[in-house]
Amino acid sequence: MEKRSARMKKTLSPYLYFVPALVLAYLFSYRPFLKTIANSLSLVNFSGKIIEFVGLENFQSLFTDRNFQTSLVNTFRFALFFIPIDLVFCLVCALLVYRKRRFNALNETLFIMPMAVAMSSAALVFKAIFNPTIGVVNHLFGISIQWFNDPAWAMFTIVFLGVWMAMGLDFLLLVGALRSVPRHIVEAAEIEGAGPIAKFFRIQLPLISPTILFIVSTRLRDSMLLSGPVMVMTSGGPYRSTQTLVYQMYIEGFTAGNYSKGSAISVVVFVLTFLLILLAFRFERKGVFYQ
Amino acid sequence: MSPFMKRSDIVKATGATVLGLVVVFPIYYAFSASFFTIGEFSTYPPTLFPSTISLVNYIRALTESMLARFMLNSLVVSLVGSLLRMIVAILAAFAVAFLNFRGKQVLFFLVLGTMMLPGDALIIENYLTISRLGLVDSYLGIMSVYLLAPVQMFMLRQSFKTIPLTYRESAAIDGCSDFKFLTSIVLPMSRPIVLTLSLHSFVTIWNTYLWPLLVTNNPGMRTVQVGITMLGYADSLDYGPIFAAISLLLLPSIIIFLLMRKKIVEGIASGAIVG
Repeated sequence: MEKRSARMKKTLSPYLYFVPALVLAYLFSYRPFLKTIANSLSLVNFSGKIIEFVGLENFQSLFTDRNFQTSLVNTFRFALFFIPIDLVFCLVCALLVYRKRRFNALNETLFIMPMAVAMSSAALVFKAIFNPTIGVVNHLFGISIQWFNDPAWAMFTIVFLGVWMAMGLDFLLLVGALRSVPRHIVEAAEIEGAGPIAKFFRIQLPLISPTILFIVSTRLRDSMLLSGPVMVMTSGGPYRSTQTLVYQMYIEGFTAGNYSKGSAISVVVFVLTFLLILLAFRFERKGVFYQ
Repeated sequence: MSPFMKRSDIVKATGATVLGLVVVFPIYYAFSASFFTIGEFSTYPPTLFPSTISLVNYIRALTESMLARFMLNSLVVSLVGSLLRMIVAILAAFAVAFLNFRGKQVLFFLVLGTMMLPGDALIIENYLTISRLGLVDSYLGIMSVYLLAPVQMFMLRQSFKTIPLTYRESAAIDGCSDFKFLTSIVLPMSRPIVLTLSLHSFVTIWNTYLWPLLVTNNPGMRTVQVGITMLGYADSLDYGPIFAAISLLLLPSIIIFLLMRKKIVEGIASGAIVG
């Protein structure tokens, strides 16, 4: 009898190491995920209890809701500006410093400094420097853009902040990729008479394309989840021009107490992030060159 | 690396420095503005250099607001949260790397699979869970959703796997239990990665915004990232104390960042610190 319980203990004990992780995975990931899907298909009361199943009704009303269409368009508008600007800027920085030369270690440190700054601090600083009347950006560039009052421009403050917060990591990834391009290939091209532009587009760019794809797909996913900078800098305004999906989800869920609609929006966010990852993998097989 | 630089190198280095200074300008501005007087915020042209170095804004930020309390809250949540997070990840990673049991792969992928479900899209339901558990406005409520870190579990497992299995066999022959093996052999051997991941966890939890905003209603329970956006000076253009508060947060993180720079760069180069 004692022997058997000892053996039981031996077979069961490995699972004990896994229990905390599993409980947390269930409690804060899988369960809320399933409940969010259930809520999105139901009428939910103010305390989060399901009243009745309504099928796809929430989604029907969601997609005809002008407000939601705005959020959807804004979220993609953000990604459309944010990702190319981030990539080009980080590539320029990386191309300037990837060769180990004097001062480049210092310049590298300057480029990655934003990594040390938390989102809310960065957003507060950007809010001040983009302030239309007292901010330094308008003054230094001699412009008078009403950054936070003009629906055409407000999104750009979020885009600039997004690039600023993302660039440390993306720059490091690109520098690493450029440094791993075999020297002899680049030198052979130079001997054959390739100029800097041909060298970049014909040799370096194809060879670092896996890194670029990685950056694009993770940043697309981040874009679908954008909310913090919007909350701190613009509260979705002016005229909802910076209202994103997760921001609207937060407003519906926590200000309006409309859990069905909030859950339907989060299901849309799940689907979008998931599809974008799949798309990245598909694209990977076609357009990406691996050594 | 030759001591002589070509002309193109000088042009590139200069260009990089100019871009770099643009990049760090917001950080410079935050420190500089922390010394501004109220008047200096509304001058035209805008002030770039403070006229005096006075600590008035810092004193105001610390005495007029609950900034010190916010920092304490963040410190508790980040310290305890990252400690618990490491314990959970280490236990799971250890089981995957060293123990044999049925369904190991399934359980492992079940935990890793949570990476596919972005936390920010789960906030409504997670809030309802926390509020039903009565954990709104509590430290445990704030740290709850950060306690599971699948990426870290994965990285710990990779690191544990480099420890030769013969160590475990000889430990078992000497009558060493699994748990003892973990605490007295595996962990000491993995100290660098455990320390790096703990620091990364600390910073991650310290920097979060959306979730702590949701689960705290009582101002006294706010974390610093949330509290700093609610200091309330901005309406009167009295930005000084806000920038002092931001600078107080920036200074330690920039010092840590510069000290850890080499490690961070290596970590990213080896694919360790992403996400």
